[in-house]
Amino acid sequence: MNIAVCIKQVPDTETRIKLSEDRSRVVEDDINFIMNPYDEFAVEEALKLQEKNGGEVTYISLGPDRVSSALRSALAMGGDKAIHIKTDKVPEDPQVTAQALTAVLKETSYDLVLLGKQAIDDDHAQMPSLLAEKLGWPAVTVVVKLMVENGRVKAEREIDGAHEIVESSLPAIIGTQRGLNEPRYASLKGIMRAKKIQIEERTLTLQPSSLSVAGFEFPPAKQAGKIVGKDASAVPELLRLLHEEAKVI
Amino acid sequence: MSKKAAPSFSKALFSGVVTDDLLFPYPKLSREEAENLDIMRDTFRKFADDTIDAHLIDEQARLPDKVLQGLKELGFMGMTIPEKYDGFGLSVTAYVKMLDLIAGYDAGVVLTIGAHLSIGLKALLQFGNEEQKKKYLPKLASGEMVAAYCLTEPGAGSDAAGIKTRAVRDEKQGCYILNGSKLWITNGGFADFFTVFAKEPINGPDGEVKDKISAFIVTRDMPGVSSGKAEHKMGIRGSSTAAIFFEDVKVPFENQLGEPGRGFKIAMEVLNSGRLGLAGGSLGGLKAVFKQAIAHIKQRSQFEKTLDQFEMIQEKIGQIAIDIFASESMIYMTTALLDRGDVDYSLESAMCKIRATEVTWNGVNECLQMVGGLGYMKEYPYERAVRDARINPIFEGTNEILRMFVALSGLQERGEYLRKLGKALRGPIKGFGLLTDYATSWVKERVSTDRIREVHSSLNTPKVNFEIWAKNFHFAVERALIHNGKNIIYREMIQERLADAAIDLYAMITTISRVDTLINEKGEAKCQREIRLCNAFADQAWRRVRRNLLMIDHNLDRDIKEISSFVVEEGSYPFEVQ
Repeated sequence: MNIAVCIKQVPDTETRIKLSEDRSRVVEDDINFIMNPYDEFAVEEALKLQEKNGGEVTYISLGPDRVSSALRSALAMGGDKAIHIKTDKVPEDPQVTAQALTAVLKETSYDLVLLGKQAIDDDHAQMPSLLAEKLGWPAVTVVVKLMVENGRVKAEREIDGAHEIVESSLPAIIGTQRGLNEPRYASLKGIMRAKKIQIEERTLTLQPSSLSVAGFEFPPAKQAGKIVGKDASAVPELLRLLHEEAKVI
Repeated sequence: MSKKAAPSFSKALFSGVVTDDLLFPYPKLSREEAENLDIMRDTFRKFADDTIDAHLIDEQARLPDKVLQGLKELGFMGMTIPEKYDGFGLSVTAYVKMLDLIAGYDAGVVLTIGAHLSIGLKALLQFGNEEQKKKYLPKLASGEMVAAYCLTEPGAGSDAAGIKTRAVRDEKQGCYILNGSKLWITNGGFADFFTVFAKEPINGPDGEVKDKISAFIVTRDMPGVSSGKAEHKMGIRGSSTAAIFFEDVKVPFENQLGEPGRGFKIAMEVLNSGRLGLAGGSLGGLKAVFKQAIAHIKQRSQFEKTLDQFEMIQEKIGQIAIDIFASESMIYMTTALLDRGDVDYSLESAMCKIRATEVTWNGVNECLQMVGGLGYMKEYPYERAVRDARINPIFEGTNEILRMFVALSGLQERGEYLRKLGKALRGPIKGFGLLTDYATSWVKERVSTDRIREVHSSLNTPKVNFEIWAKNFHFAVERALIHNGKNIIYREMIQERLADAAIDLYAMITTISRVDTLINEKGEAKCQREIRLCNAFADQAWRRVRRNLLMIDHNLDRDIKEISSFVVEEGSYPFEVQ
């Protein structure tokens, strides 16, 4: 069973985001980049499936030079190959990324493509569906449980207030959600093994972007909290404020 | 350290020679190693977030099994062991950066790893033969065996040459018979591999038999090896500290490490490099508690202002940042010198240990002070950080002994030079037991210069101040030698001032090199914060250097000694207000 895992490199969740002066882009200089946490679930799931069914696990990522370290991180957890689609920057339009990933995915016959249900930086949450559309495959997203048996996929998806259980034929796209598994730690042995794997590089002509970012704004600064009172007598006023001012009840 | 090694920057400085080409540009990890380090750090953070509870470890005074087991399984016990022996082959620079990170989670964890890698198995790595390495290193890398370094004894602490443990060759049984005991051994409770220093009777060239120190590999499975109960400690409570006893232990001949009688040199070499790990780990502990204090200060209000808006708090925060910046500039310059492998770094590593552990001690105290009464409470990390940090100026060479080492090694350099020039000094510190290399012949060949290379104009003030005070330092060294002659070995307060001045000068030049190199890479506009830190540090440093040098000639040493002497004679403080 051959599995591809698409990985996006994103800023560490603890990063303090800085914007360029014209607010048109995020300044990348001091950012610590990590593998998108949702993609880690995809890596772990791919490795578990490989342990059970054999086959190869290939990682694919798109972006500038720095992206190779996300591929190395994945290889340090396990897996066999990595492909780096080299671009000057990460496209703003998910369509552009999907087109490039599709071109590389079509080079090999994969049984399964795993990737996070969304990336934590731009939160588009479109990639699993866009890949499915371009490849003509079924996509199951927000997956919290996955079984592959007899050439079919059985997956549990998280939906509002319930789990939906779906089945699909292979090949298929799986968008992974937190709860699917506990990603393993990359051991030092794994890091050493990963060092010895050559990351394949590809350069592709990207399609023109039909979406561009006009600007960034920071969310308004959090207002300081207010203490209404310290005993039961404050409850009516608290209720009034929550209802009339905060409008949460 | 081989005789071929390039002389230490600081030793040359005692002789008035500035070898700035050793320190510029500031070294950098290779891209490949930096990438590996990133992944390792990420692994450690995830593992530590899931398993390490420093509060619990401190309370239970032991590492939970899953922590130690995890460290072994993930490969952290083999970080610096070469790949050839199933380790990870990390450079010292990357290793110390890892210790910095690990120390931020728990002092006991970092000490367990440090005692294993920095000192426990270091003698094997540096002086072991191929057979010994093949036999033990793979097991030490996987953590199947944990190592401990056994030097200190009840009667031999700072004066390590006075150890009593003995190993006697028994030709009939074909082994050494080892007897004695070792005190306060880190990892002592559970280590399986001991690097043991013991006295061995050795035939001198004149036929006379003398006891000399040799090093041995001893394993726990040898009959007669046992460990005492876990010591109750003030801090670093997650680490195991215990006495080790050797009773008629049969140690095979092939377990001797290095040459017979060379054990003291081995012991000192191991500590020379081990101190850098301690320096880096120490700062890591400070950085972690500093982060917590800053978070508290930003949200805590008094008099309708958050604490960070008060000037005395700003002073503390700024000072801690300056001190960390300069200390890490020293440390990672020195680790890179060690990684190069052809430079004598023994003085510099001692300087890093002194400075980093004192910056840490001051810093954790100030963090506790900034958060006020809350800092004194057990449920917050501050009091634990203070307890954990307190050991650092004591172990792996007390900071007092290390100051003597720095000053006397530097003076010895200069003394030798003067002696060879036919001046009055004759072998002023002969017989002093500390290990050092001579750079005299090399220094003689150099044309003395008191200028360093051009640096970026924004660093001109630090540069000029370094040059002025490096020169004055050299003059002070000359004066101290001429005024005191061989009595300089007893003038510890002068040694202390010279050592402190040397530390500040090394910190200045490494900080200048770091920021200058950064400016060359990123441009001045992107380095404004670093430039400010460098200028602030250098200004504080040269003023301290001036004070220390002035006090070599103008001081209260005689009064202080006199007062000490009558107080000691009385046995307690003898005065009362009338």
